Amino acid sequence: MTAAQAEELLRNGLSCRAENDTFAQFQVGDCVRARVMHPQTYTRLPRYVRGKVGIIVKDRGVYVFPDTVGQRLDTKPQHVYSVQFAAQELWGTNAPANDTLFIDLFDDHLEAV
Amino acid sequence: MNGPHDIGGMHNMEPIPIEENEPVFHSEWEAKVFAMSFATFGNYFPVDETRHASERMPPGQYLSSSYYERWLYALELLITEHNFVTKAEIEERINQLAQSKT
Repeated sequence: MTAAQAEELLRNGLSCRAENDTFAQFQVGDCVRARVMHPQTYTRLPRYVRGKVGIIVKDRGVYVFPDTVGQRLDTKPQHVYSVQFAAQELWGTNAPANDTLFIDLFDDHLEAV
Repeated sequence: MNGPHDIGGMHNMEPIPIEENEPVFHSEWEAKVFAMSFATFGNYFPVDETRHASERMPPGQYLSSSYYERWLYALELLITEHNFVTKAEIEERINQLAQSKT
């Protein structure tokens, strides 16, 4: 990496979008459950959504999978979705009834309900 | 991994302090750590491997370290794991620098 390339990277960031298309496991409106998993290796799936049910609200396209890229394994390109969770689903009945959380999750983080 | 970085839902973390006119770096060593890490990571390591490296910091140490202390930990961990340098070589260099200052 040259100094000029470093500057370019700092200014514009790095795109992790994958070139190839791949089958989307889920569609907008689908109910999904975040998988329960506790890998010792890298994952972008936070603990507080594991096992919780949400709704796919947007398909963001295909990106390389950080959980495997972090281990220098296959880039495993797959769809990333904005998933909406009710605050009460995550934090119980003391959470505000109308609050929701949107989080970007990958196909491999999700299972059909 | 279930590391110390994954703090969603943790109580008593207090609000994030917002500094007025916050400088990019708070001291010179931070700029040096950033430059060394950015160049090394950009040339040799996928971004997710570098994130995972800082998350592997022992939890007590991670939570009491500053942002660039975590970058430095990730840099030292990756360059030793990938055999660019040994831990002994890093220690030796630290000792050399410490002696040259006295």
